[in-house]
Amino acid sequence: MAEALLAIDDLRVQFDRGEDEVFAVNGVSFSIAEGEALGIVGESGSGKSVTLMSALGLIRENGKIMAGTAKFQGHDLLKMRPRQLEDIRGRDIGVIFQDPMTSLNPVMRIGDQIMESMLTHQYAGRREAFERTLQLLHEMGIPEPKARFRNYPHEFSGGMRQRIMIAIALACEPQLLIADEPTTALDVTVQMQILALLQEQRRKKQMSIAMITHDFGVATNFCDRIIVLYAGQIMEMADTRQFLLQPAHPYTMGLKNSIIEIGQRDRQLSPIPGMAPTLTEPPKSCSFASRCPFATERCRSELPALREISPNHHVACHRAEEVLAHAI
Amino acid sequence: MFYAKFFAKRFVAIVITLAAVIAISYIMMYCSPGGFMNTTQLASSLAPLAAQDPAAYQKLMEQFQLRYGLNLPLWHQVLLYEWHTFTLNFGNSMQNPTLSIMSQLKTALPISVILAFSSVVLSVVVGIPMGIIAAIKRNTWVDYLVTTLSMFGQAIPSFVLAVIFVLLFGVEWQNVLPVTGWGTVPEAVLPVVSLAAGNIGVVARYMRGSLIETMRQDFIRTAKAKGVKYWPLVLKHGVKNSLTALITVIGPQFAFSVVGAVWVENIFAIPGLGKVISTAFTNFDFPLAITAVFILGATIMLTNLAVDVIYAVMDPRVKLQ
Amino acid sequence: MAIAVSQSQQSVRRARKNSPMYRAWQRYRRNGFAVAGLGWVILFFIIGIIGPWIAPYSYTYADFLHMHSGPSWQHLFGTDTVGYDVFSQILYSVRYALEIALGATCVSFLIGIVLGLWAGLSGGIIDMIVMRAVDFMFALPSFFFALILVVLLGKGIFPMILAIGVPGWAGYARLIRSLVLSMRNGEMVEAARALGAPQWHIARRYMFPNVVGSMVVSLAFGIPYDLTAQAGLSIVGMGLNPPMPSFGNMLAQAGANILGFPWLLYFPAGVFAITLLSFLFVADGLQEAFNPKGGM
Repeated sequence: MAEALLAIDDLRVQFDRGEDEVFAVNGVSFSIAEGEALGIVGESGSGKSVTLMSALGLIRENGKIMAGTAKFQGHDLLKMRPRQLEDIRGRDIGVIFQDPMTSLNPVMRIGDQIMESMLTHQYAGRREAFERTLQLLHEMGIPEPKARFRNYPHEFSGGMRQRIMIAIALACEPQLLIADEPTTALDVTVQMQILALLQEQRRKKQMSIAMITHDFGVATNFCDRIIVLYAGQIMEMADTRQFLLQPAHPYTMGLKNSIIEIGQRDRQLSPIPGMAPTLTEPPKSCSFASRCPFATERCRSELPALREISPNHHVACHRAEEVLAHAI
Repeated sequence: MFYAKFFAKRFVAIVITLAAVIAISYIMMYCSPGGFMNTTQLASSLAPLAAQDPAAYQKLMEQFQLRYGLNLPLWHQVLLYEWHTFTLNFGNSMQNPTLSIMSQLKTALPISVILAFSSVVLSVVVGIPMGIIAAIKRNTWVDYLVTTLSMFGQAIPSFVLAVIFVLLFGVEWQNVLPVTGWGTVPEAVLPVVSLAAGNIGVVARYMRGSLIETMRQDFIRTAKAKGVKYWPLVLKHGVKNSLTALITVIGPQFAFSVVGAVWVENIFAIPGLGKVISTAFTNFDFPLAITAVFILGATIMLTNLAVDVIYAVMDPRVKLQ
Repeated sequence: MAIAVSQSQQSVRRARKNSPMYRAWQRYRRNGFAVAGLGWVILFFIIGIIGPWIAPYSYTYADFLHMHSGPSWQHLFGTDTVGYDVFSQILYSVRYALEIALGATCVSFLIGIVLGLWAGLSGGIIDMIVMRAVDFMFALPSFFFALILVVLLGKGIFPMILAIGVPGWAGYARLIRSLVLSMRNGEMVEAARALGAPQWHIARRYMFPNVVGSMVVSLAFGIPYDLTAQAGLSIVGMGLNPPMPSFGNMLAQAGANILGFPWLLYFPAGVFAITLLSFLFVADGLQEAFNPKGGM
């Protein structure tokens, strides 16, 4: 395994909702290697976005990081002062958000929005930044970059806006790109184009990508390795091939069975009856037990630890071996 | 071409509105107990003239009769009056027949416009920073102080503040600032401040709410993810977006200030249009009153038009139509 | 399963606790300013009702022996230039101010309801005409219309009610119309109907709170506005005819001859300012209570 670019260890995040606390991330540990594409899969509310956004200091004010470390190139992001974190955001780590309709500043020319990150980090001078912006727009497949530079976000389609988002994220050539549901808000054909574009950029620039998605299909197509999150905990972590061949967690099995074809927009990820829980106290037993067809008394009373059942294949399930056997 | 159409449409709307205002005012005054030419009232205010020179008085009355077509049917009178007004042929004041209405308005209008305009400018200059500070220090004592002050400003009408100022600066702290008159900067301070207080409150509260709302938007998170530092984030992304929304309250603010000017001018004895209006109404000098309302109405509507244009310039998503 | 059982046990108490009105009150109660404002407003209403009985002097009684005297036990808030007792004047003013402000608000509201319902329900050309009229009313400050109406109607209490009330209809008409439209094709109502909720339940649960909330809030903002307009008319000499006492007259008079008699100003201005502030706090609190998201 290559050297870890970002290593998150035992991360715990809580949100204060006034009357109660929500335990959004409950002891998540994983790492992203250099050049690796990691998929983080889960339903909405599973803590998949919060995990990475909290490391970057991008969660709402009512969110608190209770414990853990997030080492980026050996430095703990969680211990950094806001100033230091600002230097890393946008320069070393780029982020793409889900909704390109609302994620761009409506009263700022798109060219200026792309240039802003380069100028902020003194990555390039004004002249250079302008040239590079045109280059980026060209690379992102936006026709007539020079004319489009001066346009505002509302003058672009959703897919085009997402390309602009990617240009913003890639402006300073980050080592890590966090893509938070980058295709969810887009039409199916556009989804494919955006994923292809991301894949191409990743190859060219040798960067790592963390792909946060609720679409298991997107993750299996795009990523080298996948993490499945549920109720703020890792359920299973393995290479994509392993996931497709031998899912060892009942939840993952459900996910896998729900794939029909990549990028079907209307299909929500709810392979198993029931809803994902919102934890208002720390988990003491398996959070998935109430929806699990294999659940036993032990699952309802004892929290399963994440264990390595075969090399590089980690599962948090008391009955992983039986599930594996059952699947085969 | 596109803009020409927009402006043409707006001008037509303004003219129709003003014509309706004039017609309604005229008809109401025609129906008022003394009629449009309130003879009893006129007789008393023109009594010295009547005593001095009965022939001249008689001639004056006939002139008025003729000018306003008072023996014609009502609809004809209204049309006649509309024609006079839109050709800016305002005629003479009834109460002071030697003075043309035009000459009175010429000196009075700029005073009221400057008064209202400076109060809006002051409220923006003070209110916006107050709102920004309250928003970024949300739920701290700074925020509570700003919010409470804004509420005070908003609730207490300009005339109450004006009267209090007159007392404080006319009696307690004499010679600090003049409490009557108009023409110098010190003379303008108290009227403008009492007029602006309410607007400051509105602007500060609006700015606070709008900025808090803006800072929750997705594009703010995008900017943060780009590594934009705190102050550029608040000013370039947050405030700039909130300002476009704030523009929309400037129009109503100006209209509000014009009404406030009518009050404040009466209290500080400022010879502005507001003072002219109130004397005209209390003396039943209807031609002067209607003309003054007409002029103020036109000013307010043209200001609103200007505000809409500024809004479209500031927010690229807004199209003039 | 366990959750379901406990829910049904508490359902009776919850039904009341979850009623939108109850929740609105809970939110209102948390706002200290709004509660204090409500206290003063209630006191103001009580004074409006009993004021004339507890006033030590009639508002027409001039104490010639104690003209412009300062506050004393005999004249709590002092007397003015003619010897009128300021305290009594204030008590009477409250009565007239309330009569006119409430009356005017009712007039505006009634016209607004009729025109708003008419426009919203019939649509088409009528809707267009009413909305053009609304635009017209908003083009100019309604204070000017009030001035013109005072000329037409005179300076009594009832004329004041009409003069302030009639030009104020446009805002209410627009609100009512939008409520009608939102009810006719509201998603929430649609969803509730699709789920099979009975008609009265839909009305009580979804339409009523929304409608009542919006109306109460707009009325709460309307009353202080009308109080201000009424005093503003006095400032330009078009208010209630003296000797009928009103806050506007007292302020105008105080502004004209305050040299040395500050009590002529402090007491009326103080009471008037606190009252307007209280109404605004109440209106603000109500807005937050009924519409917690749109809080500004």
